[in-house]
Amino acid sequence: MAIGVVTVKRPPERWSSSQPYFAILKGLGVSIRHFLHNLLLFARGQQDFTVHFPEQRLVQPPAMRGMPVLVQMDNGKERCVACGMCEWACPTNCISIFPAETNDEVERYPEVFDIDMSRCMFCGFCEEACPEEAIVMSRQIEIASYSRRGSLWHKQDLLVPVAELKTRLDHLRRQYEH
Amino acid sequence: MAEAPKLAKITVDGRVIEAPAGIPLLQAMLDAELDIPHYCYHPKLTIDGSCRLCQVKIEGMPKLQISCNTQVRDGLVVSTQDPEVALARRGVMELLLLNHPLDCPICDKAGECWLQNFSMRFGSKISRGLEPRRKRQKRIDIGERMLLDQERCILCRRCVRFCREVSKTYELGTFRLGDRTVLDIYAGRRLDNDYSMCTADICPVGALETKDFHHKVRVWFLEEVGSVCSGCANGCNIHISTYKNRIWRLTPRRNDAVNETWMCDAGRLTYKAVADPQRLRIPLVAANGTLAPVDWPAAIAAAASAMGDLQKQHGAAALGAIASPHLSNEESYCFGRLLAALGVEHRAMAVRRGKADDLLIKAEKAANARGVRELGLVRGADDGVEELLQACERGVVRGLYVCGDDLLAAVDRERLARILGGLELLIVQVTTLEDAFKSAQVVFPTTMLAEKDGTVTNHAGRVQRIEQAVRPPDGWLTDGAIFTALLNHLQSREEKFAVPEIWRALEQDGTAFARIRFAELGAYGAPLA
Ligand code: SF4
Ligand code: SF4
Ligand code: SF4
Ligand code: SF4
Ligand code: FES
Repeated sequence: MAIGVVTVKRPPERWSSSQPYFAILKGLGVSIRHFLHNLLLFARGQQDFTVHFPEQRLVQPPAMRGMPVLVQMDNGKERCVACGMCEWACPTNCISIFPAETNDEVERYPEVFDIDMSRCMFCGFCEEACPEEAIVMSRQIEIASYSRRGSLWHKQDLLVPVAELKTRLDHLRRQYEH
Repeated sequence: MAEAPKLAKITVDGRVIEAPAGIPLLQAMLDAELDIPHYCYHPKLTIDGSCRLCQVKIEGMPKLQISCNTQVRDGLVVSTQDPEVALARRGVMELLLLNHPLDCPICDKAGECWLQNFSMRFGSKISRGLEPRRKRQKRIDIGERMLLDQERCILCRRCVRFCREVSKTYELGTFRLGDRTVLDIYAGRRLDNDYSMCTADICPVGALETKDFHHKVRVWFLEEVGSVCSGCANGCNIHISTYKNRIWRLTPRRNDAVNETWMCDAGRLTYKAVADPQRLRIPLVAANGTLAPVDWPAAIAAAASAMGDLQKQHGAAALGAIASPHLSNEESYCFGRLLAALGVEHRAMAVRRGKADDLLIKAEKAANARGVRELGLVRGADDGVEELLQACERGVVRGLYVCGDDLLAAVDRERLARILGGLELLIVQVTTLEDAFKSAQVVFPTTMLAEKDGTVTNHAGRVQRIEQAVRPPDGWLTDGAIFTALLNHLQSREEKFAVPEIWRALEQDGTAFARIRFAELGAYGAPLA
């Protein structure tokens, strides 16, 4: 079968985008305008636009996806049952779990739960796959370390008390309400 | 042979299918690769008709019929797509799921669970149940190797029929009636028969689980390789499931000529030896009275020169050899060539023996004893063991090349220690270094069946493929490669151990294997004669 060619009607080109240097000048203009504006206000002592990280931090919205963490229940244990769904869903294969058995009512728990943060891309697939609300995306974004080994986070490092994750858990439940 | 059964023509959803008259309609449809949900029907068990999921509409019948208990006869017109059928399936699924626990995240079966699969495809997406789910006993220790979860059981009674019809041990039954029915072991019994773990394979849900695989690896991470069990001479066909280059379980693979769909528990647990921490991982050579680790080429050179020295001093007949029934056919052939090149006359094969029954388990606890015999490596009723030992005791044989650990189990320990201790040269190729072998001059680690490619011959002379499931460490020489390297050393040549080339040689040599084509062996193997 021959392949047909369809000519797509496009809107007429704008004058500005046909001029090669115009876009660069326009962009520079934005930067210069902000610079002068801030300089003027700063000189007058009126406003300080910079967030002085890490002394100051912005409060991120609950929809923000920082690093994935494990939910720690009130009894100090993880909610995770080592079902492996997140391990399977993770596109970068950065989660590795080894299950084990306990005598608790929920008989299975992760003996090893490691996330290689140097490979995690904060996609949130793990959170979405989890049937137990046991792994959620936190607002934590400070995950730099001095070595590769340091970016391998173990279960103990990943546990966050459930109370601290309330905003995210509520956000998730709202999403699945319908 | 019985007269070939008459073929009947049936119509399923407008498609005409030919099937032998009298077989279950469900089987005929499954054979035609139609995808009919079912639980209780199993091709190797009697028909139970308890799950009601296989219902289909048959023209001329007032109600839906269970296809597992309907026999194929000419002119049946069947519909599997009728709305009535879909409604019946949804109803069955709803009843099965009504009290089913939400255990999937912690259930070993999840991922290969028939209840999950069929409820995703034929069930309803919501539950209409109002009462709390019924509670049952969970994690019941019902046997040495088995666990039972009564909540997950869907009462298909496959396991019950297995214990009645296949293992004939009658441990399992269903008790009480109606929605109080539970599956359990009979009072005072334990599910401990030699085939108990097969119940976990045939259980369509996660109600029966093996303790061995309990909470180990999620099944979707496993990679499966078709191979043959190394536990005994029966050569049951298996799947080897690996994850991260490690074996996690063995499951039977259907081969009606060998093991139908079963395998024994002992065979199923043989995989543990592969990752045994006690296993020898590096060649050892004796230096100053102790065995020291060396690299592979050094060990080959040491073995070759030690054998050469012995034969120069006492003649070629002073070297004897013990073949291993754990070698593949190809490796045994290579060993035979090595022994011929060395002029070794005194040869034997030691095979560990154990319990046997009339279902699958054979007395010889090795996969390829028959192959070694077919290749003419050994002769005699006891494969020449007694003769060789006496030759050692008389001082005729002063050096031994021992392949495999089975010698330890086949010969009286004290006598063996005396004989091995009195030898001038001992080269062993073993999985673990037992005390009896500590007097060896050269020790090679041997490779397990799961780590190599090739073929083995079972007790009945069926040649079957084995496939590498786990990779040995880098630089490792498999048994065949060790023999080839020794031959290379002797004859100053450069050859590699390659299975297809050995098959060409097997044909040219006119061995018993000449009639079989390696490439045509397929998944189920071929008989020698
Ligand atoms: S956020 Fe994405 S990449 Fe990171 S662990 Fe979860 S699934 Fe993997
Ligand atoms: S999906 Fe959830 S419960 Fe399952 S292993 Fe991951 S964190 Fe644990
Ligand atoms: S038996 Fe199947 S459906 Fe039931 S809990 Fe196990 S995996 Fe889930
Ligand atoms: S334990 Fe499994 S095989 Fe046995 S009746 Fe229950 S569901 Fe069927
Ligand atoms: S398979 Fe027919 S009733 Fe279960």
